[in-house]
Amino acid sequence: MSTISVDPVPGRSDEMVVNMGPQHPATHGVLRVVIGLEGERITRAVPHIGYLHRNHEKIEEARTYFQVVPYTDRMDYVSGTQNELPVVLAVEDLLGVEVPQRAKQIRTIFFELFRIASHLVWMGTAMLDLGAITPFLYTFWDREIILGIVERTAGARMLPNYYTFGGVRRDVHPEFFKDVADFLDHMQRRMPDYEHLVLENPIVHARTKGVGVLSKERAIARGVTGPVLRASGVAYDVRKAFPYDAYPDVEFEVPTSSDGDTYARFWVRFQEIYQACKIIRQLLEQTPKTGPYKGKVSPRLKISGERYRAVENSRGELGVYVVGDGSDRPYRIKHRGAAFTNLQVIPDLFIGAKFSDAIAILSSLDPVFGEIDR
Amino acid sequence: MSLLSEVWQAVKALGTGMATVHKRVYEDAPTEFYPYVQPDLPAVSVQSLALVENEDGSERCIVCLQCERACPAQVITIERHRNPEGKGFLIDRFDIDLVNCMYCAACVEACPVSSIVTIQDFEMSTYDLHTLKADIDFLHEQSRRSRRWYSPKFGVEIRTDDGKIVKAPPEMQPGGLAELLKPAEEEVDQ
Repeated sequence: MSTISVDPVPGRSDEMVVNMGPQHPATHGVLRVVIGLEGERITRAVPHIGYLHRNHEKIEEARTYFQVVPYTDRMDYVSGTQNELPVVLAVEDLLGVEVPQRAKQIRTIFFELFRIASHLVWMGTAMLDLGAITPFLYTFWDREIILGIVERTAGARMLPNYYTFGGVRRDVHPEFFKDVADFLDHMQRRMPDYEHLVLENPIVHARTKGVGVLSKERAIARGVTGPVLRASGVAYDVRKAFPYDAYPDVEFEVPTSSDGDTYARFWVRFQEIYQACKIIRQLLEQTPKTGPYKGKVSPRLKISGERYRAVENSRGELGVYVVGDGSDRPYRIKHRGAAFTNLQVIPDLFIGAKFSDAIAILSSLDPVFGEIDR
Repeated sequence: MSLLSEVWQAVKALGTGMATVHKRVYEDAPTEFYPYVQPDLPAVSVQSLALVENEDGSERCIVCLQCERACPAQVITIERHRNPEGKGFLIDRFDIDLVNCMYCAACVEACPVSSIVTIQDFEMSTYDLHTLKADIDFLHEQSRRSRRWYSPKFGVEIRTDDGKIVKAPPEMQPGGLAELLKPAEEEVDQ
């Protein structure tokens, strides 16, 4: 990894090198960006990661497939069950398990609930970075409702360990569907407030419009996915391109914006909350109240073969590459993190921007360091 | 943009923000008053682990080592010896390192006799981490103190006031028992 030396470049004695992070409150965890400053302008930016490294991939090689699933929870800790799905899908493919339709629908409801929860966390923390405290309190209030719904069914709030090979671990709570419907009604009342506080806020306009423009070509070249890519005008969504679980049965749009600036990334995430609510509403009508929730899977499963499966989580394409050598433990597991790949655009967006804009740009990338450092 | 319209924009934005905040002032507080009001946790909530004994005080655990094998964090240590009088095994040692436990409840799922269960006692904070290296007495004490616990095989069980262990009524059971309760539900529908 290249580093910036603390000494200024010869002939450029006006450049100042500062560390942003790893304890900076606006770095969403433990990101350290070494920034070269010329007055207010950023001339160089090198992100340093690895402060939260926990060696997931190597640990998972020494665990059975059932034991891998709770570990994946710990990657992107604000979007819970979304991390479990790629591993579960890959192993189901290799085993050829028949998953009941109801289990797929329950999985998709949880998946979209966590998308809303994750975007609510993003909205609160992004506004906190821009200096607004009130939206943070309101979004965590609403996220609390989602976590409560998840806890009643899955037994844990943030790291539920709920998906399993062939379906879900246990049937949903009897009042689950009513709870979710109530939450969607609640969200419908809340969204106009968030629009007022965030999207229509003139301060947000002034801080984000035209700031950190990521062109379509640059976004594709850097391999970014998710809302960051869609804000640059590419309508790529794993849910549409490679549908999984219950997504083929529901109708939804992929919101895109052609601006590519920080405001566009804010706007796309907002529209995704609306689309997630729409998907959950359709699934609530489709899902039978009772029925099977788990297919038949041998507890001593052995896998040979390899498979790549990806899902569209709140930050982009979360993939996993599983290689099985015929034993009950994976030979190799490679996680493809969305937030990790999205972080690659930091030098593109930071260089030439003002220092206070860098905070706004970073918050619009929505990094989560559990997943980046893994 | 003229100065006047800029001022008007700012005033309008302030007004919108104040109105939005004002709406919420009269709503109920979402916060919990925890030390004074105990939170009502759902019965499936995984807060801690316990080892249940039978009503007569005998061990429910059959020392089959399934939980030790299922544990992803590998925090369960069990030692056993053959029962000299009769079948089965007896426990020499049953330790759970609750510091490194990730509370995924894989052990609870693996247990064939619902001996190891999840309980809702979350008040485990301590100044000394070594007090959380639970041995068998600690785990028994956890279950004796709790009135309600959950395991996927037996569902929610309750300890009554006179020390009996009974299965909770269907309305207290989580969705995991929907399979078992299905015949009863169908009758109600008809």
